[in-house]
Amino acid sequence: MLSILLWIPLIGAIAIALWPNFQSGRQVKQFSLVVSVLALVWTAVIGSQFDIAIAGSQFQETIPWLDSLGLRYQVGIDGLSFPLVALNSLLTCIAIYSTDDDLERPRFYYSLMLLLNFGVVGAFLAENMLLFFLFFEIELIPLYLLIGIWGGARRGYAATKFLIYTAVSGIAILGSFLGLVWLSGADSFVYQPDLAHSLSLTQQVVLLGGLLLGFGIKIPLVPLHTWLPDAHVEASTPVSVLLAGVLLKLGTYGLLRFGVGLFPEAWAVLAPWLASWAVVSVLYGAFTAIAQTDMKKMVAFSSVGHMGFILLAAAAATPLSLVAVELQMVSHGLISALLFLLVGVVYKKTGTRDLTILRGLLNPERGLPVIGSLMVLGVMASAGIPGMVGFISEFLVFRASFTAFPVQTLLCMVGTGLTAVYFLLLVNQAFFGRLTTRADGKVVTLPPVAWSDRYPGILLALLVVLFGLQPSWITGWTEASITQLAKTAATPVAVLAPNAAAAVLGQSSIPS
Amino acid sequence: MNDILVQTSWWVPCYGLLGALLTLPWSMGLVKRSGPRPAAYFNILMTVASLIHGTLVFRATWHQEPVQLVFHWLKVADFDLTFLVEISSTTTGVMELVTSLSFVAQIFALGYMEKDFALARFFGLMGFFEAAMSGLAISNSLFLSYALLEMLTLSTYLLVGFWYAQPLVVTAARDAFLTKRVGDILLLMGVVTLSVLAGSLNFPDLYDWAETATLTPLVATLLGLALIAGPSGKCAQFPFHLWLDEAMEGPNPASILRNSVVVSSGAYFLIKLQPILNLSPVALTTLIVIGSITAIGESLVAIAQIDIKRALSHSTSAYLGLVFIAVGMQWTNVAFLLLFTHAIAKALIFMSVGGLIITTNTQDLTEYGGLWSRMPATTSSFVVGASALVGLFPLGCFWAFERGLDIYWYDQPLLAAIVLTVNLLTAINLTRIFRLVFLGASQPKTRRAPEVPWPMAVPMVSMIIVTLLSPLMMMRLSLLPNLASLNRSAAAALVLSGIIGCSIGATLSLNRSMARPIQKQLRVLQDILAYDFYIDRLYRVTVVFVVASLSKITAWIDRYIVDGLVNAIGLASVLSGESLKYSASGQSQFYMLTILIGVGILGLLFTWTLC
Repeated sequence: MLSILLWIPLIGAIAIALWPNFQSGRQVKQFSLVVSVLALVWTAVIGSQFDIAIAGSQFQETIPWLDSLGLRYQVGIDGLSFPLVALNSLLTCIAIYSTDDDLERPRFYYSLMLLLNFGVVGAFLAENMLLFFLFFEIELIPLYLLIGIWGGARRGYAATKFLIYTAVSGIAILGSFLGLVWLSGADSFVYQPDLAHSLSLTQQVVLLGGLLLGFGIKIPLVPLHTWLPDAHVEASTPVSVLLAGVLLKLGTYGLLRFGVGLFPEAWAVLAPWLASWAVVSVLYGAFTAIAQTDMKKMVAFSSVGHMGFILLAAAAATPLSLVAVELQMVSHGLISALLFLLVGVVYKKTGTRDLTILRGLLNPERGLPVIGSLMVLGVMASAGIPGMVGFISEFLVFRASFTAFPVQTLLCMVGTGLTAVYFLLLVNQAFFGRLTTRADGKVVTLPPVAWSDRYPGILLALLVVLFGLQPSWITGWTEASITQLAKTAATPVAVLAPNAAAAVLGQSSIPS
Repeated sequence: MNDILVQTSWWVPCYGLLGALLTLPWSMGLVKRSGPRPAAYFNILMTVASLIHGTLVFRATWHQEPVQLVFHWLKVADFDLTFLVEISSTTTGVMELVTSLSFVAQIFALGYMEKDFALARFFGLMGFFEAAMSGLAISNSLFLSYALLEMLTLSTYLLVGFWYAQPLVVTAARDAFLTKRVGDILLLMGVVTLSVLAGSLNFPDLYDWAETATLTPLVATLLGLALIAGPSGKCAQFPFHLWLDEAMEGPNPASILRNSVVVSSGAYFLIKLQPILNLSPVALTTLIVIGSITAIGESLVAIAQIDIKRALSHSTSAYLGLVFIAVGMQWTNVAFLLLFTHAIAKALIFMSVGGLIITTNTQDLTEYGGLWSRMPATTSSFVVGASALVGLFPLGCFWAFERGLDIYWYDQPLLAAIVLTVNLLTAINLTRIFRLVFLGASQPKTRRAPEVPWPMAVPMVSMIIVTLLSPLMMMRLSLLPNLASLNRSAAAALVLSGIIGCSIGATLSLNRSMARPIQKQLRVLQDILAYDFYIDRLYRVTVVFVVASLSKITAWIDRYIVDGLVNAIGLASVLSGESLKYSASGQSQFYMLTILIGVGILGLLFTWTLC
């Protein structure tokens, strides 16, 4: 049942690569769109049979593979992974839909897209650490090629940087997994929450450090982030959508599943440092974004900042904060995908993303009014205006982290304020003002935006508003699993947390 | 029947939202054949619906106990977020005020915005505005109120930025959003803290908690200051007051709402917060201090403005300053009364200003003149609005001021003096504006000014009637003190301050072409006031400078240190490979030597770690 989710994109990718009778790029696109929609439908089918009351993993499948290595094909889905799998399926559809029709080497491109989908879904479903690692690495190859072949002018540099960074991240993660299994004396890489119980605290901290490095690169956390702005700027729009929307979530998912889940004691020890790290990430991302003049780079740095919120809430590791992590992952996925899509349309129609050049794009006759309005909605959602999903997810992050780390939380809230600053600069610069006349005095008339360019943006915007009004439609999926994760994992933190807040607030007890 | 009405009363804000959604086909350009007017009609229809529904609910709740509606919104782990909505005669009354002013402003906008191509977008935003404000009126949950205030921030941004092609509008929209946002973030910090400390975000629970809570003074102070930061931004109080002045670049029908009810919604929220603020004496004192600074400072600044809308918007800040003082003194009744009377009077004045702007195409006070005979309805609405604002017996603000003075008279003579000064300065300002606009010789732009068309005249005249009848309404709502217990000396001082103000305003020399005084000191004073104490420059060298330089510094670090280090490592590895390739000479002795040295170093390392 669950494996079909893996088979659909894999078979699709192989079929596109090998089927000889495609007449045009358009046909390939349609075919891969059908495949990705099938995957989405199948995700929905799984969702309809998913029991949200069960905390553990569901639809488990196990096939022996290389048992001598401890590697088994073992997949399952729980409340932690389902929303992300759904997000991935949705964004893959959107990415394929919004790809240019007249793309070069379409068969290679679309099979890579589906392969990417395959890798990401696999990583979310894997219940064997080695299997997770394999999928984590598989996803790297198509993305490297997607950036390196269909990217912008400096694509070679960006793609290589991405490859090296992610390879390092893979090595660190693999090292931690191997260390964990060897030190604990387990006979396989099967994911078990109590694997690290026999380890000394020092060992746990070292192994967790490896995971933090590995996933910290993927998330990315400052100062491990420099691959991200380059990769985003050079990648084409659909790839950026997937990169920001889903791939970064692999890092936070890994932190949650393996960091919080496997090393609860070490996590509790490192948590205050992680929270401070989150503050650095948030503020650094926000301040750097303010200084950017490339729209895409600005959105990329905003990603760095917003992923910092996730680290903050993950550090607190209370049931509420972990739900907030999940919600923030989905909300960031939707919002950043929306923003990258819109920046892509602007780039396609105007030929530039330079904020010092763009002016007055909201112009109703000659500009991009609908795209501009969606952009306003997107940046407001990102800045945490209520009514959209960004607000409630950030509010939960702050509310949950405040009990454990009041000072760090307050500093992170400054980051949301700064989000408003840079995104307002973006909207004011590019969309407000007068549509410039060209140097030769002619009136600029931008090519009209087709409705097909607007649909993905409108869909995402609707989802952002819908989940903003009904966040329980996301949290409901995930709550049971998260509560269990928090319970098994974070008992030390839970005891520690109210005291920390009480010490600062000068109160003896805090109902949380 | 009553029960159904009360249970469905939360629909009232939703009508406005629905109206806003209904304008989408026109504002997105899906429907072009009909022109944008149907969108406006839909919106007005929805406002009428909320008005009718609201009136019925108001009648149903009259002399009834308040009803609390509970909505469970989100329950995650141990955190339960419920919305409490309070339906009482007070809250529905406020909601009625909002919807009716919104209705009047929308009718007015039909005339004012007639030729604007983006009429549909404007009405959509107005509907959104109305929905957020009327929701705020009935909300009894801190979380919901916070969310609605943020919606107001957003819609203010979009409404101020409505004519986004003009540079001044762009900066105005930016400043409005960012100033309010700073307040909102501080408020959010307070909300999160309260949520952790009190365990609930509904006002009744918070009030209960606040009565028994024991906080350290530092926490209480910080919490109190964070909570008042939000309303200060909304109500354009010092030091967050600059945006309101700039926001006057937006369309006038929105300014009617902004100067009457939008700023008041911030104060309304503050009144709701008041029992919690009692935890912190510092916060209450701060309220009084910023209220006083704003009240006096902005009244003075208003006198030096030459833009008619700006001259009036500064006076809005000043009146809200008085409201802040009242809340700081824990006299919420005075605050309420002042908000109500000020809202009606200011709405009327801004309608008249809208009429002036649309017929003369100027906002510059020095370009007006001699309009009283040409625009009788506009003139009378200005006069009536102004008299209601300066506390002329028996019109609106008189009662609010009188109530305040009555309380402050013996205990707080200083505050009483502030109220009287504000009244005096406002009287000067309004008389000055009146003389510049309506009296004197006509000028090129006013020579052929006709009276405003009926879509603007009808709401204007009806607002005149409402303003004149407002004392009666207040009497019916039993908001007025009984005449016998009136503090005569206070009332006399109040009327006297108005009269003195008017006479000073009437005798000021107003030479239009040479509005600059000759004496240097006076000129400096005029500049200080005209440029609002140069606070915008203060911002530029402090907050803006800090953020801008920090962002430049981090961007530099990112580019040259973090990224530079990574690139340097890459370069080093490439270079070392490039240089090492020359060692591949083919001589096996050399290879042997390399291996030997390598093994030697390794061995050394191992022995090192062993011992």
